[in-house]
Amino acid sequence: MSADVELNNVSVTFGSFYAAKSVNVKINGGEFFSFLGPSGCGKTTLLRAISGFQDPSEGSVLIDKKDMSGIGPNKRPTSLIFQNLALFPLMSVSENIAFSLEVRGVSKGDRQKRADELLELIALEGQGEKKVHQLSGGQKQRVAIARALAVEPKVLLLDEPLSALDLKLRQRMRTELREIQKRVNITFIYITHDQGEALTMSDRIAVMNEGEIEQIGPCDAVYNNPLTPFVATFVGENNPLFGKVKEINQNKIKIETPDGDFLSTMNENKKLNIGDEAIAFVRPESLFIPRDGDSFDNLIDVNIESFEFEGNIKNFYATLKSGTKIKFSIPNAIDTSSISSGTKLQLGFESIKSSILPKAQLAID
Amino acid sequence: MKPTYFINFMMGMYIFIFFAYLFGPLIIMSITAFNSAEFPSISPWECFSFRWFNEGKIAYDGQHLAGLLSDWRLHDGIISSLIIGAGVVSLSVPIGMAAAIVLTQVRSQLRDIYYSISIMPVLFPGVIIGISTVVLWDRIAGLGGDGFISDVGRNGIFLTILAQTCFISTYCFLIFVARLQRFDQTQEEAALDLGATQTQVFFKILVPYLMPAIASAAVISFLFSFENYNTTVFSILSDQTLTTVIASKVRLGISPALSALALTIIALTVIAAVTYEILRRRSEKKYAQSQEIFVKEKAASGRINKEYKAGFRVPKGIVAILLILVFATYGATQIVKNDLYGQSCIDAADQQKKSKFLEQLQTLESNELTEEELSGGSLGGTEDYGDIFGDPSLFQDFGGFD
Repeated sequence: MSADVELNNVSVTFGSFYAAKSVNVKINGGEFFSFLGPSGCGKTTLLRAISGFQDPSEGSVLIDKKDMSGIGPNKRPTSLIFQNLALFPLMSVSENIAFSLEVRGVSKGDRQKRADELLELIALEGQGEKKVHQLSGGQKQRVAIARALAVEPKVLLLDEPLSALDLKLRQRMRTELREIQKRVNITFIYITHDQGEALTMSDRIAVMNEGEIEQIGPCDAVYNNPLTPFVATFVGENNPLFGKVKEINQNKIKIETPDGDFLSTMNENKKLNIGDEAIAFVRPESLFIPRDGDSFDNLIDVNIESFEFEGNIKNFYATLKSGTKIKFSIPNAIDTSSISSGTKLQLGFESIKSSILPKAQLAID
Repeated sequence: MKPTYFINFMMGMYIFIFFAYLFGPLIIMSITAFNSAEFPSISPWECFSFRWFNEGKIAYDGQHLAGLLSDWRLHDGIISSLIIGAGVVSLSVPIGMAAAIVLTQVRSQLRDIYYSISIMPVLFPGVIIGISTVVLWDRIAGLGGDGFISDVGRNGIFLTILAQTCFISTYCFLIFVARLQRFDQTQEEAALDLGATQTQVFFKILVPYLMPAIASAAVISFLFSFENYNTTVFSILSDQTLTTVIASKVRLGISPALSALALTIIALTVIAAVTYEILRRRSEKKYAQSQEIFVKEKAASGRINKEYKAGFRVPKGIVAILLILVFATYGATQIVKNDLYGQSCIDAADQQKKSKFLEQLQTLESNELTEEELSGGSLGGTEDYGDIFGDPSLFQDFGGFD
């Protein structure tokens, strides 16, 4: 069974420091929801408030429409997977998994049965007798998940559980987590600073910065239509072009920058007026080298500084006329051998692939 | 000679001197336990015997020198020491553990103050702890009239348990603090999150984790209690522990029975240490094997080289063992060659001592003065001693003190 989780105006303060400030979120039952943000943005504090280790200074946490204030972590229908997993090193894998049943007084036979069931779920059949130290990183990960699922919680909370794994394993575990979530069909609340993890696994994302939520929405919406310059630069990569609003035509805005005028798309929730200071964002993968017959809304002159080869793509670093640095990537399938440092090029991008927002703090600052 | 050889040689010498300094007295003492002489000594060697481990000896002059088996005072002392040790362990370990757990909960500056207060008892002289315990409980005993409190307050064993626990619990505290510092607190949180109550977290997570510390705290507090003298000597009142018995024996003149006791204690300690080490190595080996299996399962076959099999290697301690063997063989052959063992030797030695004693007695008797000689005659009597300095007028010229 899954449950809704609702944070109503939740604030957590440590002395005069706001770890989380007036957070309002409604997470639907059965949803895979991620809190994404840089270190120290307050996402772990929110998770601890949901699991009951941290009382909110203001506001309330509702799970399944019940107010959780005054209810300890051992009485809440949530399970938390810790960043370091916190498996019990003195117990076997089965004992670890069945711990939550043991403390509830479930008989040994039933415990063993449930542990075996869960071991099957995480594809570790017959390894219940092993000690925790005999498992590899990915196996430990799966045991931690099984342990958290043993009591059939309504909400599973995950605190960056994949951050200690190597890249390949992390990518595999992403898919596995998603599959497990579909199989057990409970609410997953996932905390991460890795936007790749958040985007691949989640139904919806909340992007956090300095204790506040900047944007909540489905992955593609957050990526394509960022609400703030912070979100635009934190989720994925983005090239900011600073300037002033020159013309407004419905949701098309012309911005005047030292490197020329560019046509960009305005977010409906972030209205701009002529003369406002604004930033137009264009992602590295939205910048193209025009071929014959191509036409773009915007053209931009660049001078290539350097490049790096990443495998599937090639990243180029270039400077504009005014000295602004930008990055663009070209798929490896396209031949770019003629481009090297010092090459002068003209790049093009569509106004629909560029968003314009009022000037504010960037994530890369 | 190459310089490295020289350095190794010097290193060897240093180690030899160090160990000789450390264990020399113990070895000498152990050997004296097997000498039948009344006073613990190696030379002169009388006879090789086990008498000090057994019934001891009744000397030719009728004096009874108790051996290890027949010394009831020593037995009583050992029993009291064991009772006190058990009491101290069962009090110190929980107190030390509780104090250490509290330390993990206290934050900020209060933590330093708390820590300083907690370790203070080890800095107090043991004598003061002993005396103050007695003084306090004497008052408490005085309050309760003739009843139970009075009995308890004047019970040496009870007071000694309390007095020793005062500072021994601090050692336990330090052991637990060291272990708790490495405790991952998220484990407690994980257990709580999985539905455990605080009590369950304590017994299922914290106590199993602290088990090695509990074991070492128990052993250390027992040993501290067993060997303690300066606190015990005050708080034990009219009872006796092993240490106070030994101390009173030293005051009256030591006997080789004490060497025998020392050797027994050393032997027990060595056996315990060796057993512990064997068990530890065995479990370590088991762990290493399980890890090896794990690595083999995980790694591709190309990663595992070849089966490594260690050949026979000469243990490093061989020199020390050989040295001890040489000395032991030399000692044994000397004893056998000179017939310095067995009942006949002891009888002969006793006979010799007895005859020597009789000889001395006879000499004394022959020199004994008659009644007549004492009451008068050339020596003594009531004669005028005025001329003792050979000048009868010496004191006459002095004129007196008035």
